[in-house]
Amino acid sequence: MNIRPIYPFTAIVGQDKMKLALMLNVINPGLSGVLIRGEKGTAKSTAVRALADILPEIPVFVDDPYQLDPNEEYDSYLDIRRSLQLAPPEPGKQPQVGMRKVRVVELPVGATEDRVVGTLDLEHALKKGEKRVEPGILAQAHRNILYVDEVNLLDDHVVDVLLDSAAMGVNTIEREGISFTHPARFTLVGTMNPEEGELRPQLLDRFGLCVNIEGIQAAKDRVAIMERRAAFDLDPEGFAAQWTAESTALADRLLIARALYPQVQVERPLLFEIAQYCLDVGVDGHRGDIIMLKTAKTLAAFDGRTETESADVQTAAELVLPHRVRRQPLMEIADNIQGLRKRALAAH
Amino acid sequence: MEQTVYPLAAMVGQKTFRQGLLLAAVNPAIGGILVRGEKGTAKSTMVRALAALLPDIPVVRNCAFSCSPEPGADRCPDCRLRFPQLETTIRRARLVNLPLNVTEDRVAGGIDFPRSLQRGKVVFSPGLLASAHRGLLYVDEVNLLDDHIVDLILDAAASGENRVEREGISFRHPARFILVGTMNPEEGELRPQLLDRFGLCLEMAGAKELEERVELMERRDAYDLNQDGFCGEYQAATDQLAHRIAQARALLPKVRIGANLRGFIGELGRENNVAGHRADLVMEQAAKALAALEGRLEVSAEHVRVVAPLVLIHRRRDAQPPQPPPPEPPEPQPPEDQPETPDQDQPQPEQNQEENQQPQEREAQSPEQQPQAENQEQPSEQEAREEPSENQEQQAANNRDEQLFEVGPAFKVKPLTAVKDRIVRRGSGRRSRSRISQKKGRYVKSSLQTNNDIALDATLRAAAPYQRQRACDDGLAVHLTRQDLRGKIREKRIGNFLLFVVDASGSMGARGRMAASKGAVMSLLLDAYQKRDRVGMITFRRNEAFVNLPPTTSVDTAGRLLAEMPVGGRTPLSAGLAKSHEQVRNYLIRNPTAQPIVILITDGKCNVALGERKPVEESLHLASALSRDGRIRTIVVDTEEAGLVTFGLAQRLAGALEAQYFKIDDLKAEALVNIVRGQQQ
Repeated sequence: MNIRPIYPFTAIVGQDKMKLALMLNVINPGLSGVLIRGEKGTAKSTAVRALADILPEIPVFVDDPYQLDPNEEYDSYLDIRRSLQLAPPEPGKQPQVGMRKVRVVELPVGATEDRVVGTLDLEHALKKGEKRVEPGILAQAHRNILYVDEVNLLDDHVVDVLLDSAAMGVNTIEREGISFTHPARFTLVGTMNPEEGELRPQLLDRFGLCVNIEGIQAAKDRVAIMERRAAFDLDPEGFAAQWTAESTALADRLLIARALYPQVQVERPLLFEIAQYCLDVGVDGHRGDIIMLKTAKTLAAFDGRTETESADVQTAAELVLPHRVRRQPLMEIADNIQGLRKRALAAH
Repeated sequence: MEQTVYPLAAMVGQKTFRQGLLLAAVNPAIGGILVRGEKGTAKSTMVRALAALLPDIPVVRNCAFSCSPEPGADRCPDCRLRFPQLETTIRRARLVNLPLNVTEDRVAGGIDFPRSLQRGKVVFSPGLLASAHRGLLYVDEVNLLDDHIVDLILDAAASGENRVEREGISFRHPARFILVGTMNPEEGELRPQLLDRFGLCLEMAGAKELEERVELMERRDAYDLNQDGFCGEYQAATDQLAHRIAQARALLPKVRIGANLRGFIGELGRENNVAGHRADLVMEQAAKALAALEGRLEVSAEHVRVVAPLVLIHRRRDAQPPQPPPPEPPEPQPPEDQPETPDQDQPQPEQNQEENQQPQEREAQSPEQQPQAENQEQPSEQEAREEPSENQEQQAANNRDEQLFEVGPAFKVKPLTAVKDRIVRRGSGRRSRSRISQKKGRYVKSSLQTNNDIALDATLRAAAPYQRQRACDDGLAVHLTRQDLRGKIREKRIGNFLLFVVDASGSMGARGRMAASKGAVMSLLLDAYQKRDRVGMITFRRNEAFVNLPPTTSVDTAGRLLAEMPVGGRTPLSAGLAKSHEQVRNYLIRNPTAQPIVILITDGKCNVALGERKPVEESLHLASALSRDGRIRTIVVDTEEAGLVTFGLAQRLAGALEAQYFKIDDLKAEALVNIVRGQQQ
């Protein structure tokens, strides 16, 4: 059975902010993910699933459910095999390594904790009398993208688990007689419709970037959306093929930016600008500052530069600060950061 | 799996916090630290950094209970048997994380599944409390943890021992550890007993200085780019810190404290009205630790002064308010009895907003009360903010602008419990016991349905009689078939929560309305006390809403607050709604199937807005936001005077909230209870 091609990322009309936020995360997974807030029917889920198009490839061990990095995490690989009582790789012979595209792993709304975290393989334990861990969704998501649709409707327990792992980069299973840890560094992408309720402030803070989107107003663009969608539904493969060139070009650009990132510099005055911005609009803690710095650098890398500029800082503010600004509980999340800053400064 | 940790020595600022951590590391007798702070202040990172600095300890090799080989130390049964033939080794003190999804058997220990099956009898598998012994137990988001897990940890922390009596196991082992908890107060507060168990409380907030923030950013970025390199840079400082801790620990047993300083400590405890004596004990231990860190053998007054805030901040209580003098009914003077000058035309600056919305004000009778109250409000604005404890001064002030109303007569209420049924619910709380579908809660019995939560003891018991028939030589001691499987039935309490949101503005002070409302609230409180419900109270007046009572079962506090609640000022309804939403939301986070009822007692005439919009508009907007959560039920009690012209604002509010609506005039206290009861069914 042929798998139906996904709607190409480059074929999405408009929503540049959302696309930018997603691309920045592909370049630099250290940005801690994106929260996409918007009304229904704005291509939120489509965009995230379409990401698979332009994701880079990463090295993995063949048939390793924990997605470990052969270069950096070889020790962890051995540790895990040992604790699972699997045969260690034969001495002198390296385990097989392959390249595979970064995946978008979906977390369904009804997911229960054990499925997410991993649990005791009960059948195996009952039959053979041996403990074996059944890896959960977090194991699959390591070094990949974890996509949570309707993140504001998630069960509290699952949210807590995500918070834990997103914060520390490891998933710890301590339940039903098993004790097990494995790395779980994933890019968390969540979509939500604010009409259904807001996220808990802690979970909100864990998302690096936040984008508010709405339906497109320009008639011309609305027509384009309809046309493209119709064309895709009629002939998915053909439509996807039309956009291959653009997709490949974008994927390459992201790869180059990824390689460039470690060399990007930031001048000290810009750091002061960032800190001042955060103080002006009023954010809790320092996560805002740190992520703004990383985002500004990533923007520079995306643009092919090794020097960060003030414009990068301004753009970063729009992406990083809206959901971190301190506000009254029922008030809306800030939409226009620049405006907010002006008002805050004027008030003093 | 070794994880690189951000070095404690590289931390920017937060001097008090760092000192607190060092104190706890030097002297575990302090009994644990609670770290409170807004998000993004590196709480968890720093605690993990501390664990990396703890000195090594001698342990018995391969003992899962981290037993000590020292003579005279407490040991697990196995080691006790083998003593003194114990193989020892030295290792780092362990940091044990308590993840939020932890189950009870993992904390206290439970059945070792595979070994039990192999050996054919129940074998104990040590839990996290065993691994944490002589180490550090770290509980992130401690205010979100399930109550019964918290109780487990508390018990062990207090007694130094973990006793397990469940599922056919009977076992005890030593469990002495440094308890470190972090929490974000936005998500709700801790129960007072739990708060008291933590020796020190450290508060963390983000840095305000630009330089500090920039420094922090730079360091974090450097760390992220090259973790090992960064840690290498700080290795010398880290080693020095570890050395300091080790030296202080060695010095600690020799540190002395003078009797006069003990007196000083006792006095501090008394002045701050702390409950119990734990604070005194902790203060002494903390002062000794500080002296040891500084290399001194004698504790000085300065040491005590430095540690006192850390010890008292989470234990300090406001002084008990003196009992109000017996029936001095402050003659409820409804504002309309006061000389009414025809100066409604004089625009007062604060009234402008109000006048815009209520143009018929001049003619109507009731709104006039508001301007009058506000006229008197002005001179008192500069007065000290009232506190329930300063009754004497308050009486004088009250006679001028604010009125205190005695509580109306209370009565016995009919039982309001939910019937215990077989419906399986999710959630937690304190009121009605309910069977629970998640794997949380106490295991109370087994059943034939397995639902993924296997009851091993019942299963084994069911399989036992057939073992002989099923015997074959595949190496297993027990043979199970599908029919033997039994599932656990767990039980937990589900809470009910009544939140009273009371308008305490000037317009409420008329015609004994306040007294009647207070009477009703009091009666419900008494009932709630017997049923172990939770109640909370929010009042709003002047410019903001106050949480007079967070969710509690303490009825005397509620009663006292109720009696002393002053009335007067403007009506910040939006603030009241926002506050009530916050309280209910926090409650629901911990008790998802609770059925909170919000009882809003007001006339709806708000004139203070939180944001840019007009107050009435804003309050209606907030109200519809509140109504979205279907778990919250609301009742609006309208206190507006029935008269020729009414504004019906409370009615509109009730509409926006999708709440039941009642006028207070046709409301007897008994009726209020029936209404609440009706809502609960």
